[in-house]
Order: sequence, then structure tokens, then C-alpha cells
Amino acid sequence: MKSPWIFHLNTGSCNGCDIEIVAAFTPRYDLERFGCLLVGSPRHADVLLVTGPVTRQMLPRLIRVYEQIPEPKVVVAVGTCASSGSPFLGSEMVEGPVDRIIPVDAYIVGCPPRPEAIARGIIMAVMSKFR
Amino acid sequence: MDAAIAFLISPPAVLLISLLFEGIDRKIHARMQKRIGPPVTQPFYDLIKLFSKERIVPITASARVFETMPMIAAAVSLLGASILLSNILSGSSVIGDLILVMYLLAMSSVALMIGGSASGNPYGVVGFSRKMSMMIAYEIPMFIAIISVAFGSSPSLAINNIIRFQISLGLPLAASRPSMALAAATFLLCMPAAASVVPFDIPEAKTEIIYGFLIEYGGPYLALAKIAKAVSNFALTLLASAVFLYVPLLLGENVLLNLGISLSLCLIESLLIMFVTITVPRTVLARLKIGQAFKFYWMLPLILSISSIILSSVGL
Ligand code: SF4
Repeated sequence: MKSPWIFHLNTGSCNGCDIEIVAAFTPRYDLERFGCLLVGSPRHADVLLVTGPVTRQMLPRLIRVYEQIPEPKVVVAVGTCASSGSPFLGSEMVEGPVDRIIPVDAYIVGCPPRPEAIARGIIMAVMSKFR
Repeated sequence: MDAAIAFLISPPAVLLISLLFEGIDRKIHARMQKRIGPPVTQPFYDLIKLFSKERIVPITASARVFETMPMIAAAVSLLGASILLSNILSGSSVIGDLILVMYLLAMSSVALMIGGSASGNPYGVVGFSRKMSMMIAYEIPMFIAIISVAFGSSPSLAINNIIRFQISLGLPLAASRPSMALAAATFLLCMPAAASVVPFDIPEAKTEIIYGFLIEYGGPYLALAKIAKAVSNFALTLLASAVFLYVPLLLGENVLLNLGISLSLCLIESLLIMFVTITVPRTVLARLKIGQAFKFYWMLPLILSISSIILSSVGL
């Protein structure tokens, strides 16, 4: 697939990962050259980027956004928080990591991961799902 | 070319060229931001992907309206653009005139608006009301410009008569009289709003109301909406280049008789018009508020268009 459109959901991230996602779209890294677009509505999206450890408040919203994305779709967990829950694992307020709630196709670790890593993760997830 | 053949080959040609135009626009936009940018064929990939995705109709939407409106929008704008292209191709005005083309293009955005507001999403309704005020702002000067063309070109609204009139003058319409220059300026000023790109993308403002009336559309519906938008942008640029600035006539008889060359010159010119009126504003400017946009359109273009009508009625 040559035009993965990306929807980004923050589930209690510290904003570090979110800034790196935006950095992946800057002229230096330019994810749009692979056809990626950052879209604002889950209805338009193919790829769901989840950042953060999924707080209790965000749990129903995460499920709802996931269900709003039309099939076929890909989920990418960005950052150590989303991948494993990392420092927040076992907390009262945290329901994560993401793969306890929705199926995840790729994990990008790092706190925060570098934009190159995010680009590679998205492309690999898309390629493995749509081949 | 025979009119029937011209009308048959126009719709696919329009679809192809307008998607290519959108790709070129995105590429130039990216290059201006020092990015590499998507390939020129990216809109085709987008459409193929969107058509293969699941159809979702929200439970809050009134399904019939929500489903049919994107189809109407795409069909209507395709029809408008094909009427324009087939008129240029066939060299005879059999089907439709300027008013019909303009009406069909406006109709396509109205159809999208209605479909979006039937989605039951509050952002869709906000987008609807914003698009409504924007249309009041830019459609009026735009239509006045078109009407003053009718005054200025040996009264006629048929696209081919206007082109022939330009050939008989030996000058593009915009250079023929001051009133026509004003009309052309008005039309070009209204282009960014009609194409709803930054700074006038207020009804769709991605970072503000999340595409407005397109918010609930996904998959095939979104693809149809994208087709409607790309095609009507292309039709507007082609209209501007054929009606106001028909340049092939400057290169003499031989070029005019050769349909291929004059058409490709016309297309290159519409590409230039797209660059000036769509790509550059959307790259260098920031979004206005609805009040500012309204004020802009009811100051400069409206005054220009009204003075164009007044000038052309006194024969200037
Ligand atoms: S992985 Fe690090 S940067 Fe990303 S959300 Fe967690 S704490 Fe913040």
C-alpha cells in the first residue's frame, strides 16, 4: 500500500513521543514522501499511532477510535510506554500497555523513539500487513 | 473533432488530468517547503486505497443522504469539467455554456456540504455553516465576473464563442479591455476560496474543525469527495485559461489549427494558473478567520467585479 494515512492518539503520553511523530513529518525526515499523511479524523486513517501507557480515562476512547477506523487498519505502538507500559506498569491508573487492549502490529521502542525509527516502524508495519 | 467523440473521451481525460494536477500541486508544495514530497502519481494511489477500504455509515447519520451526496458531487463536477473540455476539444458549442459549468461546479460543493451535515457530527454542521458563508463571499464576485464576460465578448456565454471572439480579436480576453482585465483579476482572486485551500480553507480547516463536512466520510465516500474536489479545481483553472487568457492564439494560425498543440498549451497555462492561485497561497499564507475572509472578498473582488460590469456597460 502506497498511501498509509496516519491518525495519532495520545493515551496519556508525556508528549515526548507526540513531538517526535510530528518531527517525522518535518522537511528533514519527510514521511510524506512515502505517501503518509497525518489526518485528523479516524475515518480517514489506515494507521493508528498510539503513544502513552493507556490511562483509565483513555481506555474507552482508545477502543472507540480503533473501531472508528475502517478496515484494513494497522496499529503501531510508539514509545516504550505504549509498547510495554514501562515506568507506569502496575499503576492503579494505567490499563496498558496497548497490546492488552487492541491488537498491535508494530512496536517502536525508545523514550522517545527517534523520527527515523518511527518512519521505519510505520513502513514495516504497513508492508507486513498489506503483503 | 466530432462533438459526440469529444464528449465521450472527456470524462476519463478530465479525471486523469485533474488527478495529475493534484499530484503536481502536492509535489511543488513539498519542494517549496524543502521536502522531497510524494510522487506525482500519489493521488492515484490514494484513490485506489480509499476505494478498497471498508464503507462506514455512522449510526447518527441519515444514511440515504450521507451515501448519495458524494456520488452526486463527483458526478456533477465531472460533468461540468467534461462539458468545458469537450467544448474546447470539439470546437463547437453544442452542450452547455459558462453558466452551466459554474453552476455544476458550485453544485458539487453544495452536495458535499449537505452530505457532511447529514453525518450527524457537530463538526460537519460547523463546516456546513462556514462553507455557506464562504460561498456567499466568493460566489457573488465570481458570478459577476462571468456575467461581465458575457457583456464584453460580443454578448455570448458559450465557451466556444468566447474563444472564437478572442481569436478574432487576436488578443486574450483579459488583455482586450480594462473591464475584462478586472473580470479576470476577480476570477483569479476567487480561485483559492473556490478550491478551498489555505488561506481560505476555513470550512475544512484540518487543525481546527478536522475537515468539517468531510469528517465522517471514509473509504469510497472520501475517494468520491476527493475526486469531486480535484476535478472542480482543474475545471476552474481550465476555465480561467480558456475564457480569460487563451494564449495559443498569440502563436498564430498554425498552432490554432493543430488541436493537440493548442490544447496542451492551454493545459500548461492552467497548470501555471494553478501554481499561482492554489499552490503558492497554500504554501506561503496562513489560514484567515471567517470574518477576515468575508471582508476580503466583499472588499477587493466585489469592487473589482462591479467596476468591471460598469466599465463594460459603458463600452470600455
Ligand atoms: S515513551 Fe517516553 S517520551 Fe514516550 S510517552 Fe513514554 S515517557 Fe514520554
